[in-house]
Amino acid sequence: MIRVEDLGGGYVPGRDALRDVRFTAEPGQIVGVLGPNGGGKTTLFRALLGELPIRRGEIELPGRPAYVPQTERARLDFPVSAFDVVLMGAYARTSWYRRVARADRAAAHAALERVGLGEEAGTTFGALSGGQRQRVLIARALLQDAPVLLLDEPLSGVDGVSAARIEAVFAELRGEGRTLLVATHDVRQAGEWDRVLCLHGRQIEFGPPAAVLSPETLRETYGAELIVLEGGSRAVGIGHHQH
Amino acid sequence: MPSVAVIDLSLPYIQRAVLEMLLLSVPAGLLGSWIVLRRLAFFTHAVGSVSFPALVLAAAWGIAPQLAALVAALGFGVAQERIARSRRLPADAATGLLLVGALAAGVVLASDVFESGAEVDTLLFGSLIGLDDRDLWLTGIVAVGAVALDAALRRDWLATGFDPASARALGLRPALADRLLLAGIAAAAVVALDAVGALLVAVVLVVPAATVRLVTDRLGALRLGAVALAALEGVAAVALADALNVGAGPALAVLAGGVFAAVALATAARVRVAAA
Repeated sequence: MIRVEDLGGGYVPGRDALRDVRFTAEPGQIVGVLGPNGGGKTTLFRALLGELPIRRGEIELPGRPAYVPQTERARLDFPVSAFDVVLMGAYARTSWYRRVARADRAAAHAALERVGLGEEAGTTFGALSGGQRQRVLIARALLQDAPVLLLDEPLSGVDGVSAARIEAVFAELRGEGRTLLVATHDVRQAGEWDRVLCLHGRQIEFGPPAAVLSPETLRETYGAELIVLEGGSRAVGIGHHQH
Repeated sequence: MPSVAVIDLSLPYIQRAVLEMLLLSVPAGLLGSWIVLRRLAFFTHAVGSVSFPALVLAAAWGIAPQLAALVAALGFGVAQERIARSRRLPADAATGLLLVGALAAGVVLASDVFESGAEVDTLLFGSLIGLDDRDLWLTGIVAVGAVALDAALRRDWLATGFDPASARALGLRPALADRLLLAGIAAAAVVALDAVGALLVAVVLVVPAATVRLVTDRLGALRLGAVALAALEGVAAVALADALNVGAGPALAVLAGGVFAAVALATAARVRVAAA
């Protein structure tokens, strides 16, 4: 179980990037994390990873989470194959003087198969499509075998095939009793998951989608970035990334 | 017209120079690969340059030049990291500032310390005839150190360079690994100084690996290929320098630069043919 109590903090003293976060997530739940750019989604993940420079409050985790960054953060000119990248998921449990264990190499191949990229193991990471790169990073997190996965906009700008594969893997991970926190701009998608956490510098709301995804909450979460469609039954957040 | 193809191995100073280049090819190829992949070429050039005033002071005070150079290089690494962390100045601007400051200080100090310009030339561009046993031993120690660092930390360096935001979440220690990489580069630059000089350290630590990078997408091939090319170019540069009576540093710079240009043109032509 993930338990977060009165979490707050940020990157520079005196300026909180995020505050008043409190929620719990059970094993086998997918939590959609909604919020505008700069709303605190990545900051929350940094805090859960223990990497936020300034942090208050309490965090309880069942183990070290695996993190799937936005794919454009990775260097595309690096001489690594898809398989090499997945193998990084086993680095923490590999002694410096040994090769990565045979079992981990087999597990890396299996993880690539699971995201539908078994054929691309030898392809250079930078030569893959955006959706395929995202799937490779998810396969790397699978190899970490973590009880909690933090995914930073894994479905932003990926092709249909990749999105379908990624959602299928999410369903499997849920079935295995893992907890997923998925940052997303897609309100409709978050509505299909188990819980929704709305952030805008602070926690706006947390709970089951039916209770949380009201036009009022979304307006408070997204402010001017939100378009509400079809008389309030659907809402779309517009995500523009700042780099 | 001197023959540049022949290398007279019966001469003791040539033996030392060849051995120095062969030993140097190990850190040059291994650390050089990481310098190229982690975009540390300018840092490497600067580490060599900042040792110039330290070498001048070492000559004036009669202390070991490598010790003075190592202190300067490590001091530069720490200053560089501090400035970069404070985010008040872009890292490459900080490097540029420290580099020109060090060169200027070196020139000012040298005008007081040395009577002729020849010694200054040797510090800046290296010399083949000045190598003694201690230089060779130190280069050997750094070569062993580079192999050990590469073996222990290459996974951290790879994962951190590929995707810095995830390195800690992968259970790695990116800050420690990166500091040790910078320290390793500083040590390699210090032992390269005698042969190629303070201004041309990047010629041996950057250019061979950058050349091999043009033709391979595999990390293992890059590291081994860079060691082999650095060794070949180093030995050829000794022959060239001896035949033409120039410093080993400039000879290597011309040679390695020419090889890089030829490989770059060849790979560009191959890409064009493949695209056509």
